[in-house]
Amino acid sequence: MNTLSIKDRFRLSRFFAGEKPSDEAIPLNQRRIFILPSKRGLSFVVLILLLLLIAFVYNNNLAYFLTFLLASVFFIGILHSYKALAGLTVQKGQCKPVFAGERAVFEIHIDNPIPVPRLSLEIDLHDTTQLTLAPYEKKAVRLYAPTGRRGHQPCGTITLSSGYPLGLFRAWSPMRFNLSVLVYPKPWPQEIPFPETGGGSSDQGKTEKGTDDFYGIQEYQRGDSIKRIHWKAYAKGQGLFSKQYSGEQGDELWLSYETCAGYGNEERLSRLCRWVLDAEKAGLRYGLKLPGQKIGLGIGPSHRARCLEALALF
Amino acid sequence: MLANIEKNILLFLLISVGLITLPHIYHIPASIFGFFALLLTWRFIGIWKPSCLPGKFLLFLLTVGGLVLLYSQHQGLFGRDAGTRLFMTALALKLLEIRQERDLYLIVFLAFIVATSQFLYEQSIAMAGYILFVCCVLLGTLVAINSRRQNTLNALKTAAVILAQALPLAIVLFIFFPRVEAPRWMLFEDKSRAKTGLSDSMEPGSISDLGFSDELVFRVRFQGQIPPNRLRYWRGPVFSVTDGKRWTAAKRYTYTTAAEPDFREPAYRYTLLLEPQNNNWVFALEMAGDYPPQLRMNSEYLLTRSGNPDKRAEYPITSYPSYRTGALEAHKLRINTQLPGPASQKTTSLVNQLGGFDTRHEQFIDHVLQHFNRENFSYTLTPPLMEDNPIESFLFETRSGFCSHYAAAFTYLMRAANIPARVVTGYHGGVLNPVGNFLEIRQADAHAWTEVWLENRGWVRVDPTAAVAPERIEQNVNIEQQIASRNISFFSADSELARQLDWLKQARQLWSSLDYNWQRWVINYHSANQTQFLASLGIESLKQMLFWLIGLGALFTAVLSWLLFSRKVKTADKILHHYRRFCARLAKAGLKRNAGEGPVDFAARSKKAYADHAAEIDEITDLFIKLRYQKESSQEDLSRMAEKVKRLKIGR
Repeated sequence: MNTLSIKDRFRLSRFFAGEKPSDEAIPLNQRRIFILPSKRGLSFVVLILLLLLIAFVYNNNLAYFLTFLLASVFFIGILHSYKALAGLTVQKGQCKPVFAGERAVFEIHIDNPIPVPRLSLEIDLHDTTQLTLAPYEKKAVRLYAPTGRRGHQPCGTITLSSGYPLGLFRAWSPMRFNLSVLVYPKPWPQEIPFPETGGGSSDQGKTEKGTDDFYGIQEYQRGDSIKRIHWKAYAKGQGLFSKQYSGEQGDELWLSYETCAGYGNEERLSRLCRWVLDAEKAGLRYGLKLPGQKIGLGIGPSHRARCLEALALF
Repeated sequence: MLANIEKNILLFLLISVGLITLPHIYHIPASIFGFFALLLTWRFIGIWKPSCLPGKFLLFLLTVGGLVLLYSQHQGLFGRDAGTRLFMTALALKLLEIRQERDLYLIVFLAFIVATSQFLYEQSIAMAGYILFVCCVLLGTLVAINSRRQNTLNALKTAAVILAQALPLAIVLFIFFPRVEAPRWMLFEDKSRAKTGLSDSMEPGSISDLGFSDELVFRVRFQGQIPPNRLRYWRGPVFSVTDGKRWTAAKRYTYTTAAEPDFREPAYRYTLLLEPQNNNWVFALEMAGDYPPQLRMNSEYLLTRSGNPDKRAEYPITSYPSYRTGALEAHKLRINTQLPGPASQKTTSLVNQLGGFDTRHEQFIDHVLQHFNRENFSYTLTPPLMEDNPIESFLFETRSGFCSHYAAAFTYLMRAANIPARVVTGYHGGVLNPVGNFLEIRQADAHAWTEVWLENRGWVRVDPTAAVAPERIEQNVNIEQQIASRNISFFSADSELARQLDWLKQARQLWSSLDYNWQRWVINYHSANQTQFLASLGIESLKQMLFWLIGLGALFTAVLSWLLFSRKVKTADKILHHYRRFCARLAKAGLKRNAGEGPVDFAARSKKAYADHAAEIDEITDLFIKLRYQKESSQEDLSRMAEKVKRLKIGR
């Protein structure tokens, strides 16, 4: 692990936001783990002071001893708090795109490499998730966060914390990963009729391909529907080919930002998004035209993803 | 109401609260303990039947009830008893109002306070062990709250481990934390704080086990010379009336004053620092000549003070060990020769045999003391019970006892010979504290001796115990300490019973030795003792104390951290560290491991790129997987992996 400069080491943001985003697994060590007394810990200090006062006034040595014992328990609680987190490694996982307004799911992997169970861990992102790790256990945890605007939304600071064993201290480790969720525009809530296909055909020219008659095969391209893959050829080991049909022109759809109705940018994108989803559902081949950007005709999950990504990042 | 608090945690908590308060059954009034027990039982039932727990209104009524109960005890808010009652009532009420985790914490904290209050009543080893155990259960409750899904037994185990780890640090704190006496304004006027001390009567036959405590009674700081131990008799109440069993003071003459004795030099000037007492006696060195005007001396030469004996007090006094009192008035003569009835035939013949009726008084006294010394009399702190006619039983049968027995029997013999005599109680000796240069007189120094009135000399002190156990008088050896170290044996060694009970005796001696050391080193480790003990280690200033406290604390913390974070965590880190170095080497050569790429995939990719290193890459990867994902990983594999990574050299 790279070392921190003195200045970075004392930056306050390390306490709350963690260090700069990482791609790698983050092992929790003394640099990453922060420990402060919790509210209960502070009231425990008040208790100790009260007991000390009793011992002092009554000059009672056993009361002194009990006070010192509790004070020592409090003190070594710091070590135990550290132990609750130390050695864990946290790694980022997958994150699937979502539509704006949906909950984003960030997956992270937590690995407990030692033969000691980790009890009552808490992971904070937007909500708090509780977690227990058995010895040597590796767990994938899904963290949920609300999404707002379309585009890339970074995961933010994930805080792993624990109050184990006595709840008098809170040990926490804030961390950031190079992990973001792609947020698609929110699909328009009502169904809207598809636009006329004319705008698209003039650019592309009519093709003879369609679903009616088998037309030929061509090499598989990203975006081709799985239904049209020439499985026999694939089974023979000849590679991936798509079957082409003539008479598909009726199902061709060009979704264009220019021709889309709607007030403002976001509403148009939202409608386009709805169209993409509907076209995909209807099994139409569709293309997307945005100012300065054009995605050719296609169908299938990856084509849909390309279109939605373009909308998200527009 | 309690969906988020598990049943077993509650059960655990309630049991520990029950355990912590149980010993208070002896200390607090039945009404309050009953109130507490009722609420605790209610709460127990509430675990299984939450519907029967009180609502807000009923809880309010209960709170009012608790307050009324407290008020009815007329104890105020401060002080030991009042405080204990207050905290127990609060604990009971809080038990019925558990809504969140926070409430559990408050209950545990209150329980710790109640646990501490137990020590204000009793400080025995057994109590300390018990409280330590209950504290472990309380900490276990906290662990259980903080480790969901762990069973409570494991939580208890964790708590025990934490307590055990905290123990060395607590001991360091205990030894080095500076003890300072609480200032006087902080001592609440608390009647129950009254100390056990000398009593206003003496009944030797009815006590079979004299429990001496090491509690401090007073301190004396001398200006100049300190008198030798044989002169250190600190005068307390004087008993001249007896019914044959019980000795009491002559009430009628307690408040009159006597003529001042003739004093002779040397004089001892000192300051007496009295700890809180039960009675208003001031234990001056015999015989007090000058004393402050707020003290009064009664006709039996006992100094008394007016005002509250619960408070510490300080008096400058001058005493003269050589003195001569005047004539004895008729009524005093009568009282001091009073016997409950005519002496028995046996006693009369003993007195006669020792020359009580025909020799000079001084000679008779010598004979009696010789009788004690030569005959088979022994000194013991655990004499047999002598219910009927204790003096004759002592003189002719049991012949073992402690100072009160000797003083009572001696006085009786004197009176049987018609010599005025009386029992004086008080303290004898005291241990010199070399650091503070003062004497400390503890309850264990309580003593009883006699005074005999002789023509021309007045009242003369005679200590019959000295005839039997001179070591107590001359060297001021703590008798308890001697018992602990087996210097004094109670049984004659050749008795059959004694041999049979030998193991019992040994166990008893061991226990008493343990108890003595507990008293000496733990209970009485107060400021003077601490100063003395630390001085013997060469630690003399507060600054040094703090250095040691911090130094040893840091040392224990370091050892504990090492124990806690030894190999296990580090090994895991090391495996990862070596693998990272491996990845870094490959990255330097131009092949970077992708985020989320598993070690096997990465190995396959790198083998393709660097075919001539395939074997090494495979080996490192295999070792890494083995170390990281198999439960048993050996140190050997780790070092092999480190070695391999080190040797791996991939050219660009």
